[in-house]
Amino acid sequence: MNTFYAVLVSGLTVGALYAIASIGLSLVWGALGVLNMAHGAMLTLGGYVAYGVITGLGLPVPLGIFASVAFGALAGGLIYVLIVRNVLRQAKADFEANVMIATVGAAIALENGILLVFGGQPLRQPVTVSGSFELGPLIVPWQNFIIMVAAVLAMAVIASLLNYTRMGRAIRATAQNRDAARLMGVAADRVYLIVLMLSGAVAGICGLLLSAMVQLSPSLGNDPMLKAFIMCVVAGLGSLPGAVLVSFGLALLEAWVQYQFGARWGFPLLLCAVVVVLIWRPSGLLGKTEVRRM
Amino acid sequence: MSAVLELEDVRSGYEGVEVLRGVSFSIEAGELVTVVGPNGHGKSTLLRTISGLVPLRGGEIRFEGRALDRHVHHTAARGLAHVPQGDMLFPQMSVHENLLMGAFLCSDSTELARRMDEVLTLLPKLAERRNQQVSTLSGGERRMVGIGRGLMMGGRLMMIDEPSLGLAPIVIEQIYEVIAQLGKSGRTILLIEENPARVADLADRLFLLDNGEFIWSGPPAELLASDELISAYLGG
Repeated sequence: MNTFYAVLVSGLTVGALYAIASIGLSLVWGALGVLNMAHGAMLTLGGYVAYGVITGLGLPVPLGIFASVAFGALAGGLIYVLIVRNVLRQAKADFEANVMIATVGAAIALENGILLVFGGQPLRQPVTVSGSFELGPLIVPWQNFIIMVAAVLAMAVIASLLNYTRMGRAIRATAQNRDAARLMGVAADRVYLIVLMLSGAVAGICGLLLSAMVQLSPSLGNDPMLKAFIMCVVAGLGSLPGAVLVSFGLALLEAWVQYQFGARWGFPLLLCAVVVVLIWRPSGLLGKTEVRRM
Repeated sequence: MSAVLELEDVRSGYEGVEVLRGVSFSIEAGELVTVVGPNGHGKSTLLRTISGLVPLRGGEIRFEGRALDRHVHHTAARGLAHVPQGDMLFPQMSVHENLLMGAFLCSDSTELARRMDEVLTLLPKLAERRNQQVSTLSGGERRMVGIGRGLMMGGRLMMIDEPSLGLAPIVIEQIYEVIAQLGKSGRTILLIEENPARVADLADRLFLLDNGEFIWSGPPAELLASDELISAYLGG
């Protein structure tokens, strides 16, 4: 029974991390219709920035957390200024493919920049909390608890922003019909900038939380980026609630498979589940299959 | 009366194709002007060029005496409400949210409430459907949402693009009743319609667009009897 609860806590923690990684990716897909291939590198950046600020500069932990969020947002802003804005001015038909390829380049550049500054050896993130507490039958490490709370907070902030603010409505409107949103007075370019900065900020905090669980390395964000992409596809590209639900569901499945059959079976069986879901529902579990009355 | 909108030798089109070939006209405040013409002759392109969705290749567009810049989101801020062809709604949003999007630039909550009140009084069906997702509405209801959203913009010129497109005759009648009411209330309206007979009793002036050029303009009754109309629609 204890093992069951341990798997549950582990699955929920990893699910929380997947959820934050995938909402950032899903947000950009939903609003711009493009896949930001630099999302994983932005996540890595978040972890390293916190490390640099706290360990390198010797500044307090809250400043390190703030810096990882700020640098993530800045990276998102740069992706808009250097890539998206320029690609938008080119042929509209190739927008998605061009942004995807350009962000692959941005990811490689960012990863190598990190390698140059911090080196390739694994580093220990100073933002870690030791100890645990009991919650009924569950023994929850504080580190895992903080990750789950931070993930829930990040998701709540984004959900509130999208659903209850004027800017959130503009983001959703631009995602659903860019030209119609522009006709209503929405500056679609500014919406894209905000979405990329928001996604970058979320990637920053995700990188920080992730690096607190595993060690820092320049390829830290690659695996979560791949998993986040899988979550987004299974959920239905652009569906934020779907991305969160699927992240927790698949993380729990992965944790259970790893416990039952060994760690090496976790990812292959996850991919099998994805294939089954996509055969069953090609647009994802909560994908935007538009219901339209004729 | 003063000109709200003036077009001077406007040329525009899509990649490699010139659709509008030197269009000039003006609309006075309070007028309901209709542009008619066969399918594919540039009626929608005309409105899309005015609002900036299609780039201007030549000529000038002035709104209330000042040239319109080519940023689409600025045209709404200037007071130009474009109700585009088809739906172009936000399908995953509710009727209420779509209407709110119309008033995106309105930061005064009293004014926003006034506009919402006005729209729901004119289009009571939308009040009933307030919380329904737009993609689940019928074609006629979606068209009502489009007009309601355009009204929420509070513009001084409303451009409505073929509101009858793809609708049943009874629904078209309802839509045109609403447009007639808007016209009577003194709004300045630029309406696009394929069927001249449908707008004969409604418009102050008619323009006949053929192959990207105005080949006739004047009172509706005269157009219905003109040779140009037969030539534009039937050839020859």
